[in-house]
Amino acid sequence: MSDASADPPAPLGRPRRWRVARRRLLIGAGATFGSLLVGVPVALEYGRPSLVQWMLERGTGPTEIPESSLVWFELTRDGITLHVPKIEMGQGIHTALAQLAAEELRVRPEQLRVVQADTARGFPAATLFTFGSTSVASLYTPIREAAAAVRSMLELAAAGQLGVQVQQLTAADGGFQVSGTDRRLAYRDVIAAHHGPWQEPAEQPVLRPAGEFTSIGRSVPRVDFRAKVLGEAVYGYDARLPDMGYGAFAVPPRFGAQLESAEAGDAAGMPGVRQVVIDVEAGFAGVVADTRTRAWAAVRALKVSWSEGTRVDTAALEQQVTAGDGVVLRREGSTRAALSQGRIVEAEYRTPMAAHAHLEPLAALARVEPRPGGKVEVWVPTQSPESVIEDLHAALGEDRPVVVHVTQLGGSFGRKGGQHLAVEAARLSAATGRPVHVGWTRDTDLRQAFYRPPTHTSMRGSIGPDGMIRGVEQHSAAGDIIWAVAGLPEPVRSLLGFDPGGLLGLFLPYDLPAYRLVNRREQLPVPTGPWRGLGLMPNTFALESFFDELAEAAGSDPLTYRLAHLRKGGAQGERLRTVLRTAAQMAGWGEPLPPGRGRGIACSGDVGTVVAVVAEVDLSGGRLRVTGVDAAVDCGLVVNPAGAKLQAQGAIVMGLSSALRESLQIRDGQVVSDNFDSYPILGMADTPPVRVTFTGGGDVPHGMGEPVVGPVPAAVANAVHAAGGPRLRSLPLRL
Amino acid sequence: MQLLINGRHHEIEHGDEPLVWVLRDELGLTGTHYGCGIGMCGCCTVLLAGRPARSCQITAAEVGERPVVTLEGLAERDADGAVVALHPVQQAFVENPLQCGWCLPGHVLSAVALLARDPAPDEAAIAEAAQPNLCRCGGYNTIKAAVARAAELARDR
Repeated sequence: MSDASADPPAPLGRPRRWRVARRRLLIGAGATFGSLLVGVPVALEYGRPSLVQWMLERGTGPTEIPESSLVWFELTRDGITLHVPKIEMGQGIHTALAQLAAEELRVRPEQLRVVQADTARGFPAATLFTFGSTSVASLYTPIREAAAAVRSMLELAAAGQLGVQVQQLTAADGGFQVSGTDRRLAYRDVIAAHHGPWQEPAEQPVLRPAGEFTSIGRSVPRVDFRAKVLGEAVYGYDARLPDMGYGAFAVPPRFGAQLESAEAGDAAGMPGVRQVVIDVEAGFAGVVADTRTRAWAAVRALKVSWSEGTRVDTAALEQQVTAGDGVVLRREGSTRAALSQGRIVEAEYRTPMAAHAHLEPLAALARVEPRPGGKVEVWVPTQSPESVIEDLHAALGEDRPVVVHVTQLGGSFGRKGGQHLAVEAARLSAATGRPVHVGWTRDTDLRQAFYRPPTHTSMRGSIGPDGMIRGVEQHSAAGDIIWAVAGLPEPVRSLLGFDPGGLLGLFLPYDLPAYRLVNRREQLPVPTGPWRGLGLMPNTFALESFFDELAEAAGSDPLTYRLAHLRKGGAQGERLRTVLRTAAQMAGWGEPLPPGRGRGIACSGDVGTVVAVVAEVDLSGGRLRVTGVDAAVDCGLVVNPAGAKLQAQGAIVMGLSSALRESLQIRDGQVVSDNFDSYPILGMADTPPVRVTFTGGGDVPHGMGEPVVGPVPAAVANAVHAAGGPRLRSLPLRL
Repeated sequence: MQLLINGRHHEIEHGDEPLVWVLRDELGLTGTHYGCGIGMCGCCTVLLAGRPARSCQITAAEVGERPVVTLEGLAERDADGAVVALHPVQQAFVENPLQCGWCLPGHVLSAVALLARDPAPDEAAIAEAAQPNLCRCGGYNTIKAAVARAAELARDR
């Protein structure tokens, strides 16, 4: 068996040394003869601008923003390879980034060979972190600048080879045309004929203006999908090496339980078991066997005992997350005065815990040199290679060199940001001296995860005699998201009183004379963390459901009422007005529907993108069915319309799944909804037609992966009420 | 014992193991995916004697002499194994891609079986054939479009 499927590093092997050239360009030193490596350093975005703003204002955020090479091109006689510095989990990022590069290289995207950048080839792990719908926005200019520089260097070399002036050359379709002649020189021939150092452009080449794009803004085929339909793509569960063993390890029966003792028990003698590996101090007891199911069976035969941990259940967790006292995050006008008169509307909303339920369970392959200080090499589906390296160093020793190969991810939605399985695979590999693959069963994957935390929101608003909102008081509470997986010590978190992830979607986007927001964060005794869009969808469910209740109390149409409270001329307000109007128009807003059917609208903004969703429901037969969803999305410039549409439709279906199905159940300190029978997700039969329109444009792209999930459950809940159903104020929505 | 997979006989060692692990771990055919282990998600779908089957729910020994087809066995290949032409269903999913692709075995192979018995399925038939297979990325509408396109491509061949 060959190990080709695990995609070992190409001969490029060693970490690349960079020579800083003119401007911001880095030229790879020690490159193979005839080839060219070009990268650009850019400021690494550590978070969403809004979060960073918050953090900086409070003096707690990263004050130094590191620079590192984020992208490079490798040109050889075989063509151009783009080492993509972001990780593919289905969002189509490899394709979108290839389009950016192709635009300035003057090639078609399919003429590029696109490979995942990895730390074996010298990429700093931090630059690969793929999160928060930031990839296209953060790399939009750097990739094009690097590509333009490469084209310019090729152009200078080509002019010399052809004995013509640079001005006589036109780049197109992977080659240079000499104007007024039929002479043409392909890039690969320029590279093959080149000797000596490459001449750098004297100035950064001017980038093509948005109006002249030929690649950006066009729907192009996904660069990764042919391999996927052929079954050739390598995901984390697929990574293999010759002589690989299959590992498994004991997991705690309840959250918070620690390993107290472990013995091999009957496991050592079971069929196929190669070794039992126990390190109680490290909290580890595992086995390596010759097949996966034998490893799983042997782990069940280990004699292990655990500390008590928590016995908490879902009801207790939801009770802990109850809005009330907290820190004031917004204070505009006097809500006390506003709420002392007028018509008062009050409501409370809850969202439950939820799982990511990516279809590829967590997995990792490790090859570790057993000697102290020996090399650690892992193949792992992760959004965050840097945290994998940190975890490996912490577990196996800081002195070990670590190489992370990022595989394809079979879904993630935030879960594979922290991906600890590389550590367990590495422990087993270090103990056995051979490569070990660890892959979780579905029930382990759902039990040993972190989850979307529960939320509780209490809203109180007042409507004046003119029907307009006088003021709103909002009390929000949620379990931790960012603080649960990273960051500051608890005393500092307590002092801040908010979780950065919980801020997403937390603020009403409307213009109100008075608005007060009191926030409460809770550290829960079960693991919580980032789930697609972080706080966006749970918060938007509360805010946009409540806004509908205000509209109803004011006797106003929900669309009209929203438009009336979005100031004309305000940048965000205007964009929200546009998406609201567009979605409403798509859905035939205002056109009569038969009894038992209704439409609901909701909107939200996140990572620079604004979204409005209209859902239509049918309550006939006492059953809630969503019969259609229309969404208008302004994410600015759309790089790949087909890809963006998939992202939007996918986010809507995931939002519907949360609206209609999902609720993670915990009993006696453990997850009891641990497979798709007890944790159902939306299937084909319950998925309605989903229509998406992009209303943005311009020449700045914003986030696309997460924002569209925001308004979906609120739109459905509002539609239920419009159809004659009750106000449903908790998810999942049940009639 | 031997299994007939993608038109070739393979000697296998662990007849008592679920077919999904024999395919993936013994034979290296990792195009068949594991998702839930209880037959609910469809990621481990193979064609067993032409019909979609959950390979996590059947041991290799239980397969016996029935032919197995996996994602790797659909494309037309030359003598060296290089792909000459994608299967129409594969081509249709390249034109109408999903997102992460982990669910593809279920959706592609269910569509292959559907088109074999109904070359011109209507939307209801397409939805019914795809219904047992989950897609967490939410590509259900794309799947309908892809299968309809596959029917078109198959008719044109």
